[in-house]
Amino acid sequence: MAEAKIALTGRIDSNNAPRVEQDMLGQLAGLGQVPVVLDAQELQYISSAGLRVILRLKKNYPDLTITNVNSEVYEILEMTGFTEMMTVEKAYRVVDVAGCEEIGRGANGTIYRIDQDNVVKVYNNADALEDIQHEREVARLALILGIPTAISYDVVRVGESYGSVFELLNASSFSKILAQEPEKMDWCVKEYVDLLKKIHSTVVPAGKLPDLKETVLDWARFMLDYLPEEAGKKLVAMVEAIPHDDHMIHGDYHTKNVMFQNDEVLLIDMDTLAIGHPIFELASMFNAMIGYSEMNPEQIIAFQGFDAETGRTFWRKSLAEYLNTKNELKIQEVENKARIIGYTRMIRRSIRRKGMETEQGRAEIEHWTGELLELLARVDTLMFSRNELEVEAIEENLEQVQAFVDEQLEAADCSPKSQMQIGLAVEEIFVNIARYAYAPEKGRATVRVEVSDAPVVVTITFMDHGQPYDPLAKEDPDVTLSASERAIGGLGIFIAKKTMDNVLYEYKDGQNILKLKKNL
Amino acid sequence: MESLQIDLHMHSTVSDGTDTPQMILEKVKQAGIGLFSLTDHDAIKGSGEILSIRTAEDPFFIPGVEFSCKDEEGKYHILGLAYDPQAPSIQEVVDLGHEYRMRKVRGRMAQVTQEFGYVFPEDEVVKLLQNDNPGKPHIGNLMVKLGYAQSKEQAIREIINKVHFKGEYVRPEEAIRGILGAGGVPVLAHPSYGSGDQLIFGEEMDARLKRLIGFGLQGVEAFYSGFTPRIRKEMLNFAEQYDLYITAGSDYHGRNKLIKLGDTGLAGIPCEEYPRGLKRFLERVLP
Repeated sequence: MAEAKIALTGRIDSNNAPRVEQDMLGQLAGLGQVPVVLDAQELQYISSAGLRVILRLKKNYPDLTITNVNSEVYEILEMTGFTEMMTVEKAYRVVDVAGCEEIGRGANGTIYRIDQDNVVKVYNNADALEDIQHEREVARLALILGIPTAISYDVVRVGESYGSVFELLNASSFSKILAQEPEKMDWCVKEYVDLLKKIHSTVVPAGKLPDLKETVLDWARFMLDYLPEEAGKKLVAMVEAIPHDDHMIHGDYHTKNVMFQNDEVLLIDMDTLAIGHPIFELASMFNAMIGYSEMNPEQIIAFQGFDAETGRTFWRKSLAEYLNTKNELKIQEVENKARIIGYTRMIRRSIRRKGMETEQGRAEIEHWTGELLELLARVDTLMFSRNELEVEAIEENLEQVQAFVDEQLEAADCSPKSQMQIGLAVEEIFVNIARYAYAPEKGRATVRVEVSDAPVVVTITFMDHGQPYDPLAKEDPDVTLSASERAIGGLGIFIAKKTMDNVLYEYKDGQNILKLKKNL
Repeated sequence: MESLQIDLHMHSTVSDGTDTPQMILEKVKQAGIGLFSLTDHDAIKGSGEILSIRTAEDPFFIPGVEFSCKDEEGKYHILGLAYDPQAPSIQEVVDLGHEYRMRKVRGRMAQVTQEFGYVFPEDEVVKLLQNDNPGKPHIGNLMVKLGYAQSKEQAIREIINKVHFKGEYVRPEEAIRGILGAGGVPVLAHPSYGSGDQLIFGEEMDARLKRLIGFGLQGVEAFYSGFTPRIRKEMLNFAEQYDLYITAGSDYHGRNKLIKLGDTGLAGIPCEEYPRGLKRFLERVLP
């Protein structure tokens, strides 16, 4: 059925509403109940008398659409509930970004500065109105939950696509600051990580944001066709094992999406906002700073404006700050987990973008797959915790394990004497695990440090998947014998029992779990 | 309560409608409306006529009127429903309004003469003032007749609306007092649209209602042909909040407006699901 198009012009109020109504009915006479489109391009204002004319028209012509509505009229239609009763399409201001500075780029669009106070995010997708609505909603949600972000106040036409406009006064992205003022590296790391921690500690009400675990699971399952069976299954199982987490993650947290404006750090590009385990976030951060440019150092210069070295340093420092540790092994441990998800994502993305068809693409996919397989061979879980260190159980790692425990104890204000006693016990236990738990093979061990408040008790937990072995079941060694006469391995646990207030052992879920408790 | 079609807001030739009260009664019957009221602007003559011609088989009828009121805070249309037509207090409001209107029409015509030089012969003025409810359209028609304008609309737009005449108006408390004095129910017509062409919501509406309730207002016309579901919902909430009667009206004007008799937004809602304020109103006015 052909639609009838009627142009509305000027003002419609009580003075001319009856005439406008008669005009419209004249134009529709004899057409039957056709779909009607009211073109409001020339309509400046509508009063309630005008609204009533449209309402009556709607009753006679149920298939009614109003197009090209200006902001003022749209506001009236929205307030009175007309937008819920019929299709109302806004007219969009046209913005040209030719020659504008590009200040940000995300998964779904590019951000340009259009004048001193305003930026526009131009969406890649030509039919982006739903995406824009989504981003507006999640940005508003983030703001309500206390995350500083810019909220778009207008939707505009940019060429064949749409853009949303934000006010952003004198703001610089962290990429720009890092590129132009490298001496601010440490300040950037601190501010960037403070905001990241704030995001990750924000609980999102159920159902408000997508769960990134579902997405990452899709990536992992995609890899089943491209990895050896065992490795692929392990990857999927590790993602599946990540527990549900209702804390917020940004999803594209790189230095172009973090802005500094009027002494405030704020986020832009909110369309990837989700919930999930922080390892998903760290994976995308690794990719932005290292992953994507690992084989092509020019890439990061083109995208972020700084070189690969700056990216690597910033990533490492940020991870240390985020984990609140200087411990290289700890940083390495978490980085490796992030890399597993990061490589998974990049390989899938490249394959789907026909990466296999170019020489460079094939080289990248091959390199990333090699790294991924190597990591899958030695990492058993993607979870991490700030007070846990998971390492290969070899004596060479003892120093780092002790440093990690010391760092945690210092943060807990532990006395030097207790710290020394704990250090000694940790040494004995870790060396025992390194020597005997997996012999003659090698395996991994986890050390967890927990400090309770009143009463202040330090608990150090050692976990390994080695042969079941209860060190407490053995009798204490006879320390009166000379060194050569003593049984090997018994002394460590004896020292631990002597200096600690409590030592507990259990074998659970295939793990040896040994707990040392010390009252401070 | 059995199913009942209601329309408590319509106009006849006594004010600016195009159907006589007799025709209104016929159309109400044809439309299957079971309870109606005739609410001419500032006039109760039409209601009197319906009462005199209505038979026991006809739909239930309650006398009505729509007073145009104004005070420092704004303009209001206040419906008076189910009053005693014999009571002097309702006639007093009608007379007061008529008096103001006569003065206003005379004043406006004098202003047109003064500012544009168009002279109105006294015999024509007397004839015009004999109308029940003379206003801008009547002056416009006269100007066409006298050759001062091409059409009534042009006269109103280009001449009559250009002169500013500060008239006197019935105040809302006067109208409400008169309705209550005649045992009627004062109801705010199309509340969100003010006196017809405004948009009043939220706090502004709240303040308006509080003032009028202070004067004795008892109901709101929450079901109205020109309301969207959202507007209706707000009015229903206010009615619940202030324990007000709820009425339903179309504002039918005959051929003058494209409003169908009985179009109130109430159709389709079964009687047992009517909001409390409407049930209470029906219990009060139905025999």
